[in-house]
Amino acid sequence: MSTSRAKYYKGIVIGGSAGSFSIVSKILAHIKPDFKYPIIVCLHRLKHIRSGLLEGLNLKSNLQVVEPFDKDSIEGGKVYLAPSNYHLFVEYDSTISLSTEEVNNHSRPSIDYTFSSAATTYREKMVGIILTGANRDGAMGMFEVHKKNGYTIVQDPVTCDVDTMPKSALQLFTPDEVLSPEGIIDFLNKL
Amino acid sequence: MGSLTFKTYLEELKKHTPYNFCEYSDNSIQRRIEKVLNDHKIDMEELLYLTKTDEAFVENLVDEITVNTTELFRNPETWEYLYSKILPSLKSKNTINIWHAGCSTGQEVYSNLILLNELGLLDKARVVASDINQKVIRSSKKAEYSISTNVTYIEAYKDLMKRVKPDANDFEYYCDIDKNNDSFKFKDFLTEKVIFRRHDLVTEEIPFYQKFDIIFCRNVLIYFNQDLQMKIIKKFFDKLFDGGVLVLGNHEALHGFFKTRFIKHGMVYTKSSTFQFKYK
Repeated sequence: MSTSRAKYYKGIVIGGSAGSFSIVSKILAHIKPDFKYPIIVCLHRLKHIRSGLLEGLNLKSNLQVVEPFDKDSIEGGKVYLAPSNYHLFVEYDSTISLSTEEVNNHSRPSIDYTFSSAATTYREKMVGIILTGANRDGAMGMFEVHKKNGYTIVQDPVTCDVDTMPKSALQLFTPDEVLSPEGIIDFLNKL
Repeated sequence: MGSLTFKTYLEELKKHTPYNFCEYSDNSIQRRIEKVLNDHKIDMEELLYLTKTDEAFVENLVDEITVNTTELFRNPETWEYLYSKILPSLKSKNTINIWHAGCSTGQEVYSNLILLNELGLLDKARVVASDINQKVIRSSKKAEYSISTNVTYIEAYKDLMKRVKPDANDFEYYCDIDKNNDSFKFKDFLTEKVIFRRHDLVTEEIPFYQKFDIIFCRNVLIYFNQDLQMKIIKKFFDKLFDGGVLVLGNHEALHGFFKTRFIKHGMVYTKSSTFQFKYK
C-alpha cells in the first residue's frame, strides 16, 4: 500500500496531455470533498480552441476548479487549471504567476515549467503526478520534483492512452510510485 | 549556481545598469536568468562580470530576460468588445489618446489602429507605444511581419469583422504584401500614426504629458510581483481620464486596493471617478 513520506504537503501538481482529461476528470470526481491540499493541474490543450476544459472538469469534480488569474493566492481544497496559452508558475509566496514566454516542447502551458517551479517552491512538501501523454514535456519537470525530494507518482504506462510522457519520466528517474488511475485516487484520498 | 544567488545578482544589476528586475516575480525571473546562463554556457559569476563590463551584453540580456510574445488581435473577444463598446464611446471626443505600454513588436498597436480606422476614428487618434526593449521598438516601427506565422491571426481579424462589420476592409488593404519574402508590412498611414519610444515602466517616469482614454498593458504586469504591480497600476490610474479604460491580458486581474478604483466592464477595466484618490 502506498504511504507518503511527508506528514503534510503544500501542494499536489498533476501534468498530462493526450488522454489525460478523462483521467483528471475521474480523479476529481472521486477525490474526497474535504481534500485539504491545493491541486495544480497543467494539461496540454489546443491553442485556439476554447475547449470547455474548465467547464468539463467542473462538471463532476468534488472540488472547485478554477483557471487562475495572475497573482491569485493558492488555497487548499481548490483545483487550479493552467489557462490556455499561459505558463503557470508557483511562486514562493504561494501565489500563481502566469507567463506568455516561449513555448517549451511546443507547449504553452508547459508541464515542465509548472512542475519545476512547484519543485523549487514546495521542495519535499509536494506530490508530483504525471499522467498519460504524447509529448516529452513534463518528464524533465518531474525529474526536478524528484531531485528536490518531492513525492513522485507516474501513471502506470499500461493504463495510459499514450505512454510517451510517463515513459520519458521513467527513463530519467525512479519514481516513488507507479500507479493506475484508481491507485492515484486511493493515494490522494489517504493524504 | 555557486554562492551568488539570483537575488544578489539582481541587486548588482540594479546598481551597475539602468535596469531593475528586483521586483519581478521571483520564480519566473529566476527561470529567465537560468535560461540565460544555459544559453550562454556561463555561471552567475561570469554573468555578473559581463553585466558590469559589457554594455552591449546588458542590452542583449534585457532582450533575453523580457518576454516579447504578442500577436495580432490576440484574444479576439477582447477586440470585439473594444470595437463594439469602448471605441465607439469615444466618438464625440476631439482626440482619442491611447498608450500601448509594453507594446513588444507592435502587433496589438496595429490591431487597434485597424479597428479605429474601421470606425472612422483614425484621424482623431493620438497613439503612443513604449517598451523596455530597444530591439522590439525597432521591429514595431518597421511593422514588418511574416505571413506564415500570422495566418491564424489574420483569420481572427476576418472572423471578427464578419461579426461586427461585414463590409470592413480586407486585411490586405492595410499592408503591402511580399509573398516571395513571406512578409507583409503595415502601410504608412498606420505606422505614421504612432510615436514609439523606449521606456522602462519600472525605473522611469512616464514620458508622456497627456492623459489617456485607453491604456493597453497586456501580459506585462504578470512578470512583476504584487507590490510592483500596484505601483505601476497607480501610475496608470493617474494617467487615465476619469472613465478611461485599462486593457490587461485575459488572465490578469487587479488585486487589493485597486480593485475598488476600477470597474470591470466586460474584458476591460474602467477608471472609477467616484472616489477621491488618496494613496501614497
